[in-house]
Amino acid sequence: MKHLFSPRPSSFLLLPITLVLLAATLPAQDVVLQWRGADRTGYYHESGLLQSWPAEGPGLLWAFDGLGNGYSSPVITSDRIFITGETDTVTYLFALDRSGKYLWKVPVGKEWTINYPGARSTPTVVDDLLYVSTGLGTIACLEAKTGTKKWSYEMQQDFHAPRNTFGFSEGLLVDGNLVFCTPGSPDTNLVALDRFTGKIEWISKGLGEHAAYCSPLLIRLPERNILVTFTAHALLGIDATDGTLLWSHKQDGEGDVHVNTPWFEDGYIYYITGDGNGSVKLKLSADGSGITEVWRNKACDNTMGAFIKLGDYIYTASYEKRLWYIQDATSGQLTDSIKFDKGNTIFADGRLYLYNERGLLGLFKPEGPKMELVSSFKVTWGTKAHYAHPVICDGILYIRHGNSLLAYNIKEVR
Amino acid sequence: MKKSIGVTGILFFLTSFCLAQELTLDEIMQRYYVANNMEKLQEVNTIIMTGLRVQQDIMPLKIVRKRPDLYLLDFYVADLNAFQAYDGETAWVTSPWTGNAAPQVLQGSRERDMKYQSDFDGMLYRWKEKGHLLKLEGIDTLDTGEAYKIRLIRADSAIQYYFIDRKDFLLKKQLTYRTFRGEEIAIETYFRNYRDVDGIPFAFLLETSYAGRSVSNEIETIELNVPVEDDLFRMPQ
Repeated sequence: MKHLFSPRPSSFLLLPITLVLLAATLPAQDVVLQWRGADRTGYYHESGLLQSWPAEGPGLLWAFDGLGNGYSSPVITSDRIFITGETDTVTYLFALDRSGKYLWKVPVGKEWTINYPGARSTPTVVDDLLYVSTGLGTIACLEAKTGTKKWSYEMQQDFHAPRNTFGFSEGLLVDGNLVFCTPGSPDTNLVALDRFTGKIEWISKGLGEHAAYCSPLLIRLPERNILVTFTAHALLGIDATDGTLLWSHKQDGEGDVHVNTPWFEDGYIYYITGDGNGSVKLKLSADGSGITEVWRNKACDNTMGAFIKLGDYIYTASYEKRLWYIQDATSGQLTDSIKFDKGNTIFADGRLYLYNERGLLGLFKPEGPKMELVSSFKVTWGTKAHYAHPVICDGILYIRHGNSLLAYNIKEVR
Repeated sequence: MKKSIGVTGILFFLTSFCLAQELTLDEIMQRYYVANNMEKLQEVNTIIMTGLRVQQDIMPLKIVRKRPDLYLLDFYVADLNAFQAYDGETAWVTSPWTGNAAPQVLQGSRERDMKYQSDFDGMLYRWKEKGHLLKLEGIDTLDTGEAYKIRLIRADSAIQYYFIDRKDFLLKKQLTYRTFRGEEIAIETYFRNYRDVDGIPFAFLLETSYAGRSVSNEIETIELNVPVEDDLFRMPQ
């Protein structure tokens, strides 16, 4: 019998106390490898990448088959690749080496298979620990070397998390010694856990709405760190230290699917969501305690493909119209649209990478209010839907397509 | 007066000329068979199509046909693999998005729809031998141009409409009716982007709309005469 608000089987208790103490005194900003890169923007700080591709696309270095079902992205460390995949309703964490060789896999928990079956959560890696969740609400901390589970929770039982329509999909956020999760229940809406022990540090009631599939953003201000995430019908600003709800921004659209991580830049928060809600710019007060809406544009909608802001312009795909939009970040007005069907986007070395649901990967040159297609190729390897967001690391483009992880060499030849 | 008689005469002449140019049903069907290279199609035993099914999502699609009437649609809804099939005797489907992934045998009108849909050559070919009735209803203007509107009364009395282009004699639209939750709904399918595969024209884009919804099947590849076992079409036990 598991007790409410107690971590699951706790092998961490067996660890030497010195290790726990050492971990607890780590600096607040460890290197965090996670969903859409180090800062969750999808902006990969790489250089020396191909500025155009051959007609058949960049060279495929290797492909790993056997991940099972999933839409999560890989996380790349100096010597490992971590990625999740579902087989027979169980989510596994896979460890590969950097050449795509299988090292090990461990079960994490039960996965969502009612619709869009497969692993959703991209792991978060901080030093030698790894944090992952499953579609049915398992939250786990594992050792990155071996996959040994240190602690875990079942959000449905332990935090009264209600089932939602598409399964829990959060990429867990880490700040210092804390890791956050969003059960979305009225009494236990958001939870901060000690990331080493699993001990509950605070519980926020938020607005009491169910979780909205969002991987949260962390905003660091001099006054406080703010966890910014969505629940069903609002964007929330939560004080990361104690769980205090600082502010919320209500949605007026019907939808409750808000997958995209918001973007923070120069005192402004930008978010784009679908189902009648659209894109929004908010001004965050200097101390982070309040927000003011600057603009809202319902025409610019995106459900789960994220967006990139470069200078004064935002680049994203429209869910309803299946077009790619460029949006003026100052006014919120659309400046151009391009036919490339809907999908997700990342950015590196002067190029936008647009990966659409047809499996076409386009390399685009952003030019302020416009963008230009430079090259494209079709990802034919792999299975099922093309939803996973690409990752770029050390000149290699990683594409997850269902059962397969593909590594393309996009280094410029000098 | 003379002038008006002259104009009337010219109009009469033009109208008569146009009517004389109209084709009989048999002539239209003959040209339809030629346009579709039905003679060549008789040498084809299997057709495998792959592509994308575009609704709200964009998901893979595969259609396998085998003579005389074996049919399998392998598709995805919410990334869940589903099937619709006819093995020559039994029509069956899976609907995993309902929470039940087990195959279900179709009955009644749905079974008959699947059976007729599985006709390898299509219902218009040798329609008399198959027990259907055809009637030319006139000419309709589609967004693809003018088309002969032909009513087909199936052997089981269900009615369908076929719209055959006046110029190239290819099928451009099909209109069928199905009863769904007690209501009859119209299902319109446009056939677009015809391309030649081994001398036979195939529509590579099928746009279907019904009850305010739309779905497109975008065909990417078509292979002919690839060996396919009959077991592929049988309902899993």
